[in-house]
Amino acid sequence: MEEIKLKIKKKLKFPLEADSITPDNFAGKTVAEIKKLPLYYATKKVSIGDFFDITGKSTEISKTKIIKDGDLSNVKRIGEKMTGGEIEINSDVGMHIGNNMSGGKIVVNGNADDWAGAMLQGGELEINGDAGHYVGSAYRGFWQGMKNGIIKVKGRVGVESMLWAKSSKPANKWPTLYCGSADAFLGIHNHGGTIVVEGDVDRCAGADQAWGNIVIKGKVSRLLPSYKKVGEVKEVQLPNGEVIKGNFIEYSGDHTINKESNGRLYVAA
Amino acid sequence: MVEKVKTIKDVCCPFCGTLCDDLEIDIDLKTDQVVEVRNGCQIGTKKFFAANPSDHRYEKPLVRKDGELVEVTWDEAIDKAANILVKAQRPLLYGFSSTECEAQSRGVELAEMLNALLDNTASVCHGPSLLAIQDVGASLATLGEIKNRADTIVFWGSNPVHAHPRHLSRYSDFIRGYFRTDGRNDRYIIVIDPRYTHTAQIADKYIKVNPSEDYELCQAIRAVLRGSDLDVKEVAGVSIEDIKELVDILKSSNFGVVFFGMGLTQSLAHHRNIDTAIRLTTELNDYTKFILIPMRGHYNVCGANQVFAWNTGYAYSIDFSRSYPRYNPGEFSSVDLLMRDEVDAALIVASDPGSNFPAASVKNLFKHPLIAIEPHKTPTSAFADVVLPAAIAGIECEGTAYRMDKIPLRLRKVKEAPGESLSDKEILERIIEKVKEKLGE
Repeated sequence: MEEIKLKIKKKLKFPLEADSITPDNFAGKTVAEIKKLPLYYATKKVSIGDFFDITGKSTEISKTKIIKDGDLSNVKRIGEKMTGGEIEINSDVGMHIGNNMSGGKIVVNGNADDWAGAMLQGGELEINGDAGHYVGSAYRGFWQGMKNGIIKVKGRVGVESMLWAKSSKPANKWPTLYCGSADAFLGIHNHGGTIVVEGDVDRCAGADQAWGNIVIKGKVSRLLPSYKKVGEVKEVQLPNGEVIKGNFIEYSGDHTINKESNGRLYVAA
Repeated sequence: MVEKVKTIKDVCCPFCGTLCDDLEIDIDLKTDQVVEVRNGCQIGTKKFFAANPSDHRYEKPLVRKDGELVEVTWDEAIDKAANILVKAQRPLLYGFSSTECEAQSRGVELAEMLNALLDNTASVCHGPSLLAIQDVGASLATLGEIKNRADTIVFWGSNPVHAHPRHLSRYSDFIRGYFRTDGRNDRYIIVIDPRYTHTAQIADKYIKVNPSEDYELCQAIRAVLRGSDLDVKEVAGVSIEDIKELVDILKSSNFGVVFFGMGLTQSLAHHRNIDTAIRLTTELNDYTKFILIPMRGHYNVCGANQVFAWNTGYAYSIDFSRSYPRYNPGEFSSVDLLMRDEVDAALIVASDPGSNFPAASVKNLFKHPLIAIEPHKTPTSAFADVVLPAAIAGIECEGTAYRMDKIPLRLRKVKEAPGESLSDKEILERIIEKVKEKLGE
């Protein structure tokens, strides 16, 4: 795999929109060509070379790995719509990381801001820190959000993560989120998404869930009244084939959508 | 006999979203001052009297020089304002809800020209309602229809006796309508609120919900409506028996309406409260006619949403930084922008963020150059670098405003503006002209 290293030169006062930083855009380009790709800073159109030092070389999309260093906490939209290759970020990162991506892998060795992996269509996003609100969610007004792919967050995810997630059995697409703990309204309006939480979850997990699976290995601060206890289980079979062992109480819901619900919420007994 | 007083009838009141259109104003012909307001509520009446010249009104443009606001000519003030806006890298245009639609439209024009951020006060009030409507749609009606037909009225997280004083007597409670010939006796009023408000005291049924647990209560109501037997005995401080009784009342009504206020939009679950309330009304339509209406605060915040939406496609929280409009509350909404200190100049039109934004964001707002188009002295204008005195729309200049049910009404001019004040529209037009000149367009 060929590597391209980017290091940010300046401290940013305003957010820098870096939707051009993807393996797709870098593939087959020389360093001089990459430096000319556009970025947006405040109201100005600038180029990558103005803000980043670049070394390395690239080949095909699937063999291009981008490594980014320096403080990127105010750089938005890295990896937007990427279809392959790899991005590694050794810092905190700004909003919309990996939104709409359909393939490849992004690893963030730090925290991510809001809308990480929003509208994910495929690929893998790994965040080795906390993530902001709306992880893997739909953008405003969309009725179908994350449709495929995997998001792994070591720490906490913010409110309304996996909003409007949508699975497809015929196409074998199972959007999945693994996280350490979660804020309120996890998996709201879920239509088939799978969520596995290692720790505790705040109020209203699985609100308005039509179908899907939410597994919580810790506690829920306030369970929704519209969920009903089904029984206790020793293992949970996820639609992607994975089996999670442990003592769980199985709830069905959300019964606001239907009297009989295919949605399932498993909370550690 | 020489007439000393002129009476103007059918005046729209530019205060709250109810936009009463039956006020009568007496103007003293000699002094051109408001001397009497009839039909208005306490708050609306006060607004008309506050238009009279006083120590609180600005009458000349002011510019800050050596830390003091000093009177200057209009040309100098407009030049200074345009300079601030053109030099800024990420200017914010905020407010617009207490002025008329033509001025709002000029605001959009200016924002587009400057590639600026554009927002209105919905972002700290009923913005969550708009988010929810984008997610799940909404069934709405006009207030006239409610007056004539509604027999079950739910006030959820709103207190119209204080916030919209004439709402009850004009549209929702005491008023006699075509099918509700006995007025109050023909209507069943339900109030859902953590506090026993004055609206609750005149209601037929009061449901006390625990603070910030409205979402859970509404979910339980919806589940019961679906015919589910719930595992729990009590939700948000309300027993399941009470919820079942409430569902029966809602289902058996002929025409129901939910009016909701900031108690829903600005408590913890924000737009999700509205999301579930909308779905409740949608599901109730399986049994009867049910609609919901947000109780908009400012008289023309609804108009601001309309004008922004037909110009840019989005109702609030708009960013023009890439020359085309983009929308994302949370990313481009004023409070969030200011909290992250991403704004380096601001133009505030007919609004007072200084007194109602969070302190940390106000601190960041005051750090940078600030222009205020404002008729009165406010905490925001006190810290402004340029103050442009405006005529009060609906009192000192004409215009259009949208009522809370999105009905446009014409505002009237009843008196002249004091001093050198100009209308918001004229001020924005002059700024646009100057900005064009400076940008070399």
